[in-house]
Amino acid sequence: MSFFLQFMIDVLSLGGAYALMALGLVIVYGILRLVNFAYGELIMVAGYTMYLTSGSGLPWLVMAAVAVLMAVVAGVATDYIAFRPVRAKSVTAVLITSFAFSTLLQNAALLFISPRPRNVPLPEIFSETVQFAGVITPARNLITIAAAVVMLVLFSWLMRRTVLGIAMRAAATNFTMARMLGVPANLIISSAFAISGLLAGVVSMLWIGRIGAVVPGIGLEPLLIAFIATVIGGMRSLQGAVLGGFLLAFMDTTLNFTLPQDLLKFRDAFTFSLVILILLWRPQGLIKGPASGQRT
Amino acid sequence: MLEVAGLQVAYGAIRAVRDVSLTLAEGELVTLLGANGAGKSSTLMCVAGALPAAAGSIRLEGKDVTSARPETMARRGVATVPETRDVFPDLTVDENLQLGAYTRRSDTQGIAEDRARMFEMFPVLAERYGQAAGTLSGGEQQMLVIARAMMSRPRILLLDEPSLGLAPTIVDQIFEMIAKLKSSGLTILLVEQNASKALAVADRAYVMRLGKIEAEGKAAEIAAATDFKALYLAG
Amino acid sequence: MAKNFTTIAILSGLVLVMVIVTNLLGVRLFDRIAINLCIALVLVLGLQVFMGNSGILSFAHIGFMGVGAYTTAVLTIPIQMKGMSLPDLYPIIAGIELSPYVAILLGGLVAAAVAAVVSYPLMRLSDAAAVITSFALLVVLHTVMTHWSEVTNGPRTLFGLPRATDLNLAAGAAIVAIVAAVAFKESRTGLLLRSSRDDEVAAGAMGAHIARLRWQAFILGALFAGIGGAMWGHFITSFSPKAFFLKETFVILGMLVIGGANTVTGAVFGAIIVTVTFESLRALEAGINQANIFSEQVVGLTEIVLALAMIAVLVLRPGGLFATHEIGALLGRRARKKEDG
Repeated sequence: MSFFLQFMIDVLSLGGAYALMALGLVIVYGILRLVNFAYGELIMVAGYTMYLTSGSGLPWLVMAAVAVLMAVVAGVATDYIAFRPVRAKSVTAVLITSFAFSTLLQNAALLFISPRPRNVPLPEIFSETVQFAGVITPARNLITIAAAVVMLVLFSWLMRRTVLGIAMRAAATNFTMARMLGVPANLIISSAFAISGLLAGVVSMLWIGRIGAVVPGIGLEPLLIAFIATVIGGMRSLQGAVLGGFLLAFMDTTLNFTLPQDLLKFRDAFTFSLVILILLWRPQGLIKGPASGQRT
Repeated sequence: MLEVAGLQVAYGAIRAVRDVSLTLAEGELVTLLGANGAGKSSTLMCVAGALPAAAGSIRLEGKDVTSARPETMARRGVATVPETRDVFPDLTVDENLQLGAYTRRSDTQGIAEDRARMFEMFPVLAERYGQAAGTLSGGEQQMLVIARAMMSRPRILLLDEPSLGLAPTIVDQIFEMIAKLKSSGLTILLVEQNASKALAVADRAYVMRLGKIEAEGKAAEIAAATDFKALYLAG
Repeated sequence: MAKNFTTIAILSGLVLVMVIVTNLLGVRLFDRIAINLCIALVLVLGLQVFMGNSGILSFAHIGFMGVGAYTTAVLTIPIQMKGMSLPDLYPIIAGIELSPYVAILLGGLVAAAVAAVVSYPLMRLSDAAAVITSFALLVVLHTVMTHWSEVTNGPRTLFGLPRATDLNLAAGAAIVAIVAAVAFKESRTGLLLRSSRDDEVAAGAMGAHIARLRWQAFILGALFAGIGGAMWGHFITSFSPKAFFLKETFVILGMLVIGGANTVTGAVFGAIIVTVTFESLRALEAGINQANIFSEQVVGLTEIVLALAMIAVLVLRPGGLFATHEIGALLGRRARKKEDG
């Protein structure tokens, strides 16, 4: 029983982080049909902000809030620098400009800060362990689950109950029609990037909480996770992204427990193979995205 | 109220609209007729701001709106119902209507009243208000998009082929609706292939062919004079 | 047809001129740059074969370069040396030592085989999903290379490859690649792929057929990548998995994007322009570091400039420098215009 509980906590906390990562990616993709390759760097920006403010003596929550804010700013900046100039031209162009922007940011961190890992301050509570029902787990895991639940609930509320959210969902299906109803295109897009940055910022605090340090390439793994979770879930479905994140966490955690020691380092290869199998079976992902709706 | 002069709309090298001039006075229902590919929809969508004008001008109440974006036109009181209907299929009927009132979103009282009015005018929407719009039938979707357009309390309604693909009884219902809207004082520009239905409700008509206006006049005159068979088959 | 020959002639001619000039100059540095350029040509052309015809961005390409490099390494490192470089290598392979030329080809074939097996599911995905899955594929290939110590010496440097790549070999391969890329583009598969690329309805009508065509293009591209990687291995004689990851992907992509992904001419010119720029910037970076202008080493400057250049090109000329027409066609048009005017 306690093993099962341990397993569940691992899956839920990892899944929560993965789901938030995926959501931050999909919200931009759903509306713009454009993949943001610089998404991982939003996590990097939040991490480095924490590093740069670590000497300030401010309470951790304040520093974290500033870091998240910087991620939001970076997200909106990505739109202005890498997306807006080329959005109208071609889908490939945007993929590449965002990839270029990602390289730019990483190398800027390399150049202006350091290629070496830099420590990030963490609240003591992260490393405390909690014990209950025969399970011992770092408090960090429970905090991650809680944070993920809060963010998902907030996000769901935003999408369903606010005019902005409804407008964003509409724009994701049919941008031109939304504009003909008066929905301002630029506001929607900037909001999507801002939300993407917010999610990335929160994930960054949780993710870096596992590692304790930040390097220029720290965004790669979350980016990859977001990519795969999104593809499994179905590229344009918000629920699909969340589901994909939890499924991926389930696969990773299961493999962690079941793979023999010498194969453990190939875990990502195994996960990917499983994902390929899922895609062979359902190329469009597990959950259908917004329908095209025409019925006559 | 609306003045279009010398309009040209192109898709790359293809000129869908070559030279269109029309006017729309307040309270009028003007219909734009013609065969498939004549350029009617392109004209309408250009007025709506969804397509760029290659040349010519569009003036709304004297102001030049030729290069206005769709959001701007909506804010100026132009409501558009495109040929493709374009409900937001994953949003509920209610959410679709709510979004229709986007330009008035701070007026919660007014929006609630309007929603009630729409449900009165279109009882079938009231029945389905919590359903995803994509599950509605074609006729119901048409009613939804008209209701959604009305939620913004527009000054002008641009309707693109509302009868497209609908069964004759539903088409009758839709046109009854259009007649009611007209009699309430709404200015309407109606693009239609179903000439007889359109002319029955319109004040004036323009007939388009290959991107240009071939004939214009009062609805009755056009109905009598134009050989529609030749027009449609000769393309 | 004639314009295809013109294109091949001009592009091959460029390579030949470069070989001749480099040989005449006899400067070791230029030799190195020229060989690297030819290898880059093979790699970029492989990417062009897939990306230019299917319209889908592939991030996995450099991974297959690695497959080719490690395949040839395992097959050509002298048996005695293998004891030191790859102590845990499986006995079956440990006893093999082939001629580098054979092994280079085998490197290409193994890369193509791996591509064939792994990539088919990707071809049925929507464009964006295919792109990001290809990215995941790159990471997985890199993970395998980094951890399969028996075959790759893990994350450590693998050394001992015979230096078999000279300018003639590299240039020859580059010219073959040019011809093959043009031939594929104008082949039935290439034409079908390109015609349905932008037209969703046509693509839908062709359905599963498109997946197979994309798959063929991908395999061919991987073949190029494998051969390019193997040649590179025999030039540099030692490498680690780090050489087959994001930075290199970024550079190759940059070459293709700046030159123009849709044309073979674009791939060639992109490779030339970026190589020249890169080498100049590298020299500049080294000069700055040597002169100690800044207190710390300047690193990453080259990548930043390349990134900015890519963004600039995409804003100003989204299709790249040679966006639609091959050089053979462009010259043909100019000739005709002169005739008329």
